[in-house]
Amino acid sequence: MQSTDKGDKMVKRNMLKTDNRIGRFHTGRIIEHWTALITVVTLVATGLAQRFYYLDLSQWFIMKAGGIDIIRLTHRYTGIIFSIAAIVHIVFGIIGVVFKGWQPSMIINKKDFTDITHNIRYYLGIENHPAGCDRYDYKQKFEYWGVIIGGILMIATGAVLWFPITVTRFLPGEIIPTAKALHTNVAFVMFIITALWHIYNSIFSPEIFPLDTSIFTGYISRERMIKEHPLELARMEGKPLDEIVSSSENDFKTS
Amino acid sequence: MGLMNVKKKTVFFLMSLLGILAILAGSVSARDIILSEESNACLDCHAKRGIIKRFQNSESIEAYVDIDKFKSSAHNLLTCADCHNDFSEGKHPKTRFKSKEQYKIRSSLVCRKCHIDEQIKERSIHARLLTEEKEGKLHICTNCHGAHEIMPLTGEKNFTNEEHYCLKCHGNGLNMTLRNGEKLSLKIDASLLKHSVHKKLSCQDCHFGFSDAQHPKRNFSGIREFSIASADMCRRCHFDKYTKSMEGIHYAQLNQGNLKAPVCTDCHGSHSISHASKERIFTTKRCQRCHAKIYDIYAKSVHGNALLNEHNQDVPICVDCHTAHTIEEPHTLNYREKIPEMCSNCHANNAIVGKYGLSTSVVKTYLSDFHGITLGFYKQQKESLSKSARPIAVCIDCHGIHNINKATGPDSATVKANLAKRCRKCHKDATENFPDAWISHYESSYSKAPMVYIVNLMYNVFIPFLIAGLILQILLHIWRYAVNR
Repeated sequence: MQSTDKGDKMVKRNMLKTDNRIGRFHTGRIIEHWTALITVVTLVATGLAQRFYYLDLSQWFIMKAGGIDIIRLTHRYTGIIFSIAAIVHIVFGIIGVVFKGWQPSMIINKKDFTDITHNIRYYLGIENHPAGCDRYDYKQKFEYWGVIIGGILMIATGAVLWFPITVTRFLPGEIIPTAKALHTNVAFVMFIITALWHIYNSIFSPEIFPLDTSIFTGYISRERMIKEHPLELARMEGKPLDEIVSSSENDFKTS
Repeated sequence: MGLMNVKKKTVFFLMSLLGILAILAGSVSARDIILSEESNACLDCHAKRGIIKRFQNSESIEAYVDIDKFKSSAHNLLTCADCHNDFSEGKHPKTRFKSKEQYKIRSSLVCRKCHIDEQIKERSIHARLLTEEKEGKLHICTNCHGAHEIMPLTGEKNFTNEEHYCLKCHGNGLNMTLRNGEKLSLKIDASLLKHSVHKKLSCQDCHFGFSDAQHPKRNFSGIREFSIASADMCRRCHFDKYTKSMEGIHYAQLNQGNLKAPVCTDCHGSHSISHASKERIFTTKRCQRCHAKIYDIYAKSVHGNALLNEHNQDVPICVDCHTAHTIEEPHTLNYREKIPEMCSNCHANNAIVGKYGLSTSVVKTYLSDFHGITLGFYKQQKESLSKSARPIAVCIDCHGIHNINKATGPDSATVKANLAKRCRKCHKDATENFPDAWISHYESSYSKAPMVYIVNLMYNVFIPFLIAGLILQILLHIWRYAVNR
């Protein structure tokens, strides 16, 4: 989800087609999201069934799937796909940022923290406008880094749990139950971030409902760009921020 | 009222009179017999006590005849001389015998004058005795039938009950030679019968087909075959247990031709049968008879030691795990999968193990860990998906089977040392570190598994904060949206 030159080029190309739709994600990112979506749903389903094995629902699911071995293997092989996707993403991201001059737009900076306090003040009625964000706002960065850091922990602990004999050749035995505890807890954190925060922000949020389609179509509406990513839009269109925001205020009032 | 009393008294008197008459009438038949003059002459002396006949080996016999018993005997019409040939009114020769036995043999010979071989061998029991006689083993008629009180076989018995009838012969040293030459003792110790749980049964309740009228000839190839066939008797009453045992490994072994496999009587005894569950040590010793090696191992285990040395009644004995009748082949996967259940019968019951300072969470911690969960699913899968399973580590794999010892205290080192070896049976390349992957039935704590404990603690604090923070953000966002509208 790093911003790319390719993305910027596409955005410019798309701007020629229509004024109201702005290109946001290229096909690679869309595929990446689909991969994450499918693997995470599978991992969560098979993982929760194993963690809460004693629940009737889990038992029903495991039996329907063809037994505990099938569930465990599905979990592990899906884990491999997730790992590959995660590693490819990280490696390409690093290469892109370091060698190809991609904008490191997912890097958390000082503005993200001021945006949080700004938005809380806005929610409480102290500020008049929500924080104007760049390509990714702090909510998206939180989700992103939650998935990246959580994913790395999950991959590492998952590997330990898959190969306990190899691991205990070099490390003490207690690593295994520790990895298990970590795997379970991190999974739970990731589950909360995706199921609660990500699903709210991209589906149930009243401003978004019924679905934020940008990661599936690759496009975002200009209105949403003005509201959610005015800094990026200003940079893209080469206009000063005030102009963008004032146009958004008019939009906001008329809507 | 007075009139009523008089009537009652009259009725009572008449009833009593009738009763006395009836009793007298009953005894008339025996008293009616008029003995011959000759017999009366003998009885002048022999109806009195005190005439002793001494034998050369200083054994003696009282030459006394109970007139009443003789009068009601089958031979009451005979005279004394009919049997005692050498004696008559004028003749009373002095006879000399080496022993009582010799005297009895000699006296019994006179029976055979009337009861000729052809006649008596119609009864199977006699036929065999006659065969034995030809082989040189003499049998004494009076040992079973008595002498002066001898009774006809059909008609009134002179035995108070069937037992007395059977024990007349089987109470003595009676042997049967089987086809393979083994001698089977048919002697029954009456005192054992009296103490058995079957004391109220009669012989033919078990020995179906045998009675004072019937004594079919049976022929067995050996003692073991006899025992196996005899155990079938139990089925008539204990059908449930018998059916159960038919599902067991012992019955299967027997069916495959292993005659050593135990039948009912091997464990329960026959005439001395007692309640099975009374003495647990005794029950264990029954298994020891065949499974001596396993018994020795068990005796040294924490369970066996407590049973045998402390008479502890809480510890499991053989039948608690193997059951008594439906004993299964224990080397199957099916049996293995039942083991945690067996152990949890006691180890999940605080009333039993609590007093020994043992935790009941051992079962819970096993069942909620990798092996326990897998086992649970494999069992379910076998039922609902009919999937075959792989063997999974259960209690016995770490703790041992018959040699179970304390997992804490001085033996814990041995348990631990064997653990890596045991792990390697399934996890080929497991190192010494590997067993520590299992935190030994402990819930993680700062002292037991600190890393696990700290990780869980951290997340237990972090996750509620995360959830609360995110929900608060969402609610604020919705609120602001609602206000703006």
